[in-house]
Amino acid sequence: MKYLALALLFSTSLMAASPEVVQYMNELSKTAKVENSSFDGFDAARGKEIFTSTHTGKQGKPMACTSCHSTNLSSSGKNTLTGKVIDPLSPRANPQRLTSAKEVKKWLKRNFMDVYAREGSAQEKGDVLTYIMKN
Amino acid sequence: MKTLLNLSVAALILAGGAFLYADDDEHEEHERHASNFIAKPMTKQEKTTVALYQKECGACHFAYQPEFLPKSSWDKTMKSLNNHFGTDATLDPAEHKTIQNYLATHASKYDRMTGMGGEIAIRISETPNFKQEHREIPKKMVTQAEVKSFANCSACHTKSASGSYREREIRIPNYGSWE
Repeated sequence: MKYLALALLFSTSLMAASPEVVQYMNELSKTAKVENSSFDGFDAARGKEIFTSTHTGKQGKPMACTSCHSTNLSSSGKNTLTGKVIDPLSPRANPQRLTSAKEVKKWLKRNFMDVYAREGSAQEKGDVLTYIMKN
Repeated sequence: MKTLLNLSVAALILAGGAFLYADDDEHEEHERHASNFIAKPMTKQEKTTVALYQKECGACHFAYQPEFLPKSSWDKTMKSLNNHFGTDATLDPAEHKTIQNYLATHASKYDRMTGMGGEIAIRISETPNFKQEHREIPKKMVTQAEVKSFANCSACHTKSASGSYREREIRIPNYGSWE
């Protein structure tokens, strides 16, 4: 019974992502532990900082994730270069989000490059995903 | 028979613009395109490829019909997706190959870059034909927030997503029809 309750708790906390995305996050978690022995799980607050802070992006200009996605994850964003509307990132507002591990990997790679001019670490990627899931 | 013809034309338009309608007053251009399309419906695989192209490329910008640039331009673009107009637009290898083949197959059979001094255009808006077609458009109509740049075809060409660029379909934001 205790295990069932634990399993239920676990699945509820991760409900905002599909099983394959949850599995991807588990892989990120393992890598994060290898890369940083003091790693103690993903953190939405760190993810928020990664998502909202401004950096020198790939184009050498100030850029943040929020430049395109806006600060409200439940609302649409807009590509700053093309003006194309970007559907909300929050899985609550947009059930298509965090359903495909392939999509998640593709966009994390691209957008870390765009905003940070480097790839994100496993911990950073997991933190951002955790932030998105909780918003 | 007429219905059948209409249906096949519709299928071609869905193909991502194998047949691009030119301005009504430019029959020469119109016929050039008309001569290079083959009137047969898309296979299931072709539909999947078009959907992939529209999803992947259309995620960030208008999914330009491949017919607007020759193969050399698309090859140049596909080789540099890691820095695609300043952003990372890399694809997984299998999808990269599928999209590259799609672009190569449907690319313009015409050079389109005559007068560019041997430069290979990666922007459609760099090509002489595009410049000629848009020469009368005041800059402020293009740079306004609703349009942003010439890259945003669908901001004014209301049927561009289906490959139609007729003059009578133009609606410029905060201006209207272009007569």
